[in-house]
Amino acid sequence: MKRFVIAAVILAIMLGGSLYNAWYAQTLTEGLSRRLEHSHQLAQQGCWDQAAHLTREVYQDWQSHHFYLHTVMRHSDTDQILRGFRCVLQYLTLQEMDQYAAANADLIAQIRLLSEMEQATLVNVL
Amino acid sequence: MFTGLVRTIILYLLIIVGIRLMGKRQVGELEPSELVLSLIIADLASVPMQDFGIPLLTGIIPIITLLSLTMMLSVLTMKSVRFRALLCGRPSIIIREGKLDQKEMARNRLTVDELLEELRTKGYTDLTAVKYAILETNGQISVLPYAAHKPPTVQQLNLSTQDPGLPLVIISDGQLLQRNLALLGYSRAWLNDYLKQKGYSGFSRVFLLMADPSGGIYLIPKESSRPS
Repeated sequence: MKRFVIAAVILAIMLGGSLYNAWYAQTLTEGLSRRLEHSHQLAQQGCWDQAAHLTREVYQDWQSHHFYLHTVMRHSDTDQILRGFRCVLQYLTLQEMDQYAAANADLIAQIRLLSEMEQATLVNVL
Repeated sequence: MFTGLVRTIILYLLIIVGIRLMGKRQVGELEPSELVLSLIIADLASVPMQDFGIPLLTGIIPIITLLSLTMMLSVLTMKSVRFRALLCGRPSIIIREGKLDQKEMARNRLTVDELLEELRTKGYTDLTAVKYAILETNGQISVLPYAAHKPPTVQQLNLSTQDPGLPLVIISDGQLLQRNLALLGYSRAWLNDYLKQKGYSGFSRVFLLMADPSGGIYLIPKESSRPS
């Protein structure tokens, strides 16, 4: 019975860990997305420097979670988001509103999709 | 992570049910849960091994999940007879009192050719010699012949024989296994004397030396060596 309990505890720990990871990924990506949306609003108001500064902060924040992201997420997804950040930062420097808005929206969607994959939902399981 | 965990559990249980439905003949010598584990685990490990774009956790979590589930099922099969019957099935009597049970054969998808082949491998070419043939839960067929077809035992023949005990390897490919020598109650001095008697100056020229507690010794020299 001891082995059964050990196996059950391991499963419970993994289940708990996966649920915590789902919550953590959701919190992380939601925070990043909201700040990118705010950056978009700043750009719309013509505050390009502030928008660029905020996006760079978000980018640095993303980079600071590099270990976690590479451990848990598919590398192709995180690499794509990294490319998205570079693209958005470039459009901010060039102050091209149309291109920036499209690239920023794409980046936000990619970041949200990343955490969506980790959520404990029936849709994901199926 | 959650998706991987839940998917692993669902697929594992699904394959176990599938294997059980396929019948005993497919199981081989493993329990269904062990067979499923051996089927999936290698594939799971190979994916993150080959694809560097996938986190290692993608392989580790399903593997630990499978091992934990197998451990739990294994404990449950030991503790509960009902669960064991559910997971591993029950033995099927294919030949009962010398009569073939065709329904049972059909239920287990066992053909006559397969049955005859199994009986031949057990040493029975004549079907009338078999009283019982039981398809075990591990897919093997146990054969019980009629008393008239059973080989006589030493006891039945009233012969006196000596039980030699368990033979142990003392020298393997020139290497002395000190533990086995001690287990048999022999000393190093005895071994040296024995080898000297046989014309060997050391262990290095002996390929295999086995001995049993009753004093039986079996020696094979290395092919390139001759007693000096």
